[in-house]
Amino acid sequence: MPAKRVLIVDDEESIQTVVQFGIQMVADWSVLIASSGTQGIATALAERPDVILLDVMMPDMDGIATFKALQMHPETAEIPVIFLTAKAQTSERRQFNDLGVSGVITKPFNSLDLPDQITKMLDW
Amino acid sequence: MSKRKRSDSRQTNQQPSPKSSSKPSLQEHDELWRQRQWVKLFAEVTLKIRQSLQFKEILRTTVTEVQRLLQADRVLIYQVLPNGTGRAISEAVLPEYPQILDLEFPEEVFPTEYQQLYAGGRVRAIADVHATDAGLSDCLVEFINQFDIKAKLIVPILQGLNSHESATQNQLWGLLIAHHCDRPHQWVDFELELMQQLADQISIALAQAQLLEHLEEIVEVRTAELQEVNRSLQQEIIDRMQAEAALRRSEEQLRLITNALPVLIAYVDDRQCYRFNNKAYEDWLGKSPVDIYGSDLQSVWGTDCYQRMQTHVESALLGHIVTYENEITLKDSLPCCVNVTYIPHLDDRKEVKGFFALTSDISDRKAIERMKDEFIAVVSHELRTPLTSLHSALKILATGRLGTLSIDGQQMLEIADDSTERLVRLVNNVLDLQRIESGEVKMEKQVCNVSALMIQAIEAMQPMAQQHEVVLAMKPIDIEILVDSDYIVQALTNLISNAIKFSSPDRTVWLTVESHKNAEVLFQIRDRGQGIPSDKLESIFERFQQVDSSDSRRKGGTGLGLTICRKIIEQHEGRIWAESTLGKGSTFSFTLPRLNA
Repeated sequence: MPAKRVLIVDDEESIQTVVQFGIQMVADWSVLIASSGTQGIATALAERPDVILLDVMMPDMDGIATFKALQMHPETAEIPVIFLTAKAQTSERRQFNDLGVSGVITKPFNSLDLPDQITKMLDW
Repeated sequence: MSKRKRSDSRQTNQQPSPKSSSKPSLQEHDELWRQRQWVKLFAEVTLKIRQSLQFKEILRTTVTEVQRLLQADRVLIYQVLPNGTGRAISEAVLPEYPQILDLEFPEEVFPTEYQQLYAGGRVRAIADVHATDAGLSDCLVEFINQFDIKAKLIVPILQGLNSHESATQNQLWGLLIAHHCDRPHQWVDFELELMQQLADQISIALAQAQLLEHLEEIVEVRTAELQEVNRSLQQEIIDRMQAEAALRRSEEQLRLITNALPVLIAYVDDRQCYRFNNKAYEDWLGKSPVDIYGSDLQSVWGTDCYQRMQTHVESALLGHIVTYENEITLKDSLPCCVNVTYIPHLDDRKEVKGFFALTSDISDRKAIERMKDEFIAVVSHELRTPLTSLHSALKILATGRLGTLSIDGQQMLEIADDSTERLVRLVNNVLDLQRIESGEVKMEKQVCNVSALMIQAIEAMQPMAQQHEVVLAMKPIDIEILVDSDYIVQALTNLISNAIKFSSPDRTVWLTVESHKNAEVLFQIRDRGQGIPSDKLESIFERFQQVDSSDSRRKGGTGLGLTICRKIIEQHEGRIWAESTLGKGSTFSFTLPRLNA
């Protein structure tokens, strides 16, 4: 698996940690961390990661608003985004797909499985 | 009234009058005067006679008046009795002569042949009973001598004069008889005429009296009948009044009861007009039952609200019991959630005459349901994030990459990991069930191929089957159905996972699908596990109802899987059920409607 750079945007510190541990343990990818939508956009602009894992439910700026903001910037518009969500209904998933996200991973997930799931979703 | 021809029907044996041959002009004048008098007198007598309807009274008046007019010494009415005898029943006689009244005449005095002659209309005027040419038998002369009779005039009183029948058929009722007792008397035409006329009047009076009697009888019978009718009518009126009073009381009670209930109660006729409303209508809508009576549903509820009611109203008027929920606007413009039930009212011929409408306020229940749904959603959702951390952290620990654990440590880690996975499933199931039940999610139906769904479910369950060393077998079938594929796969995986859990190693779990002619597709998941007791076959579909409460711990179930399956199938207008033989295995079946069937 070629080395990739993953940006995780989630307000929960524990999620940031397990995602970082899980990905690095399985795939040895580098993991960038942001705790809010605003911070995530800034990091994405600065670092240009290969994929962004974006939590949907965040205070202030939620995942959908963050995604739309990322789409507005030409520098980040092409970066694939995968939503992390506790909502897993067909209708919601369709709503996310309609936005143009590359995939949806439903909580609770096992962070050790993430590299495998991401690779499949993005055809890496 | 028929007038008989006296000259033809009656014969007289009177001698010619001595006055008849002398002074014709004076006699003519005299005759004219007499006739005028006669007509006048006759009119008077007739009037007097007619003044009474009482027969006895008539007879008395007749004899009195005849006696007065003819200056006769005795006038009597003799009634012929059925046995041939007779009796004087009325008499006017001068005081110096003996009375004949009430005296019975023996049959010999008035033999039957004489009676027949009189019935034929004979009139006898005898100037002198002792004259040899009078033709009276000796015994009769002897009899009449007892009463000092010197001259007599006899006219018959006949029955049946009122009819148009001939005189021969007339029956002799009696005789009108005038006597002179002091000396013989030459009877003149005027006297004969008067007697005949009055005998006729008596006949008429007799007929009238008989008619009257008959009429009175009829009147009496009719009166009795009318009285009876009247009595029964009065009883009926009393009964009806009592029934009406009872009905009023019962209506009053019904109104009291319906008015006391905090629900809308109404009766709507087949033209969708209100025929009964309880007081709650006034409390809720500000419209009194009196105002609403006769109004149609649309005018009471408004167009918007009526549109939501219309199909249900129409269904009720087709004879179906209908229950639905609606949102109405109260008099203070506040919205109110209501549960509405329509019960059709059928007449004797099973025709729908209208329906009873019961409407209850379910705002509180709705609010609580909403709170419960929100609470479950929030809690489940909020549980997911920490569960992700817990789940992932335990998996990372279990890799041993962060340090090697002792055997006991690894065992503890496995327990924590299993429990976390179960907790994850439980949270998922609770949230699923809540979402389906609350109607928050609609099944997003798309055309799907059954074999694709089967393969998807089998593939998803393959790892679990391998872990339990159970073989999954299926026979794909190429049918298309309109379903929400995610939910149907979820139902299938739930049922397959149950079948795997309760199967011994090396057993096979079968997934089969059949297309039925009755527009249904039948899915079946068959295992050869321990089976389910027959009394549990229904209850296992209720939440947290497992055959054995230790199952959930042993098999890692949540107790919600079958409930979710049932909800999913019901949302697809299908049915789900279980069949089982203890010790031999169980079959779970569900049906789904065929596409375009």
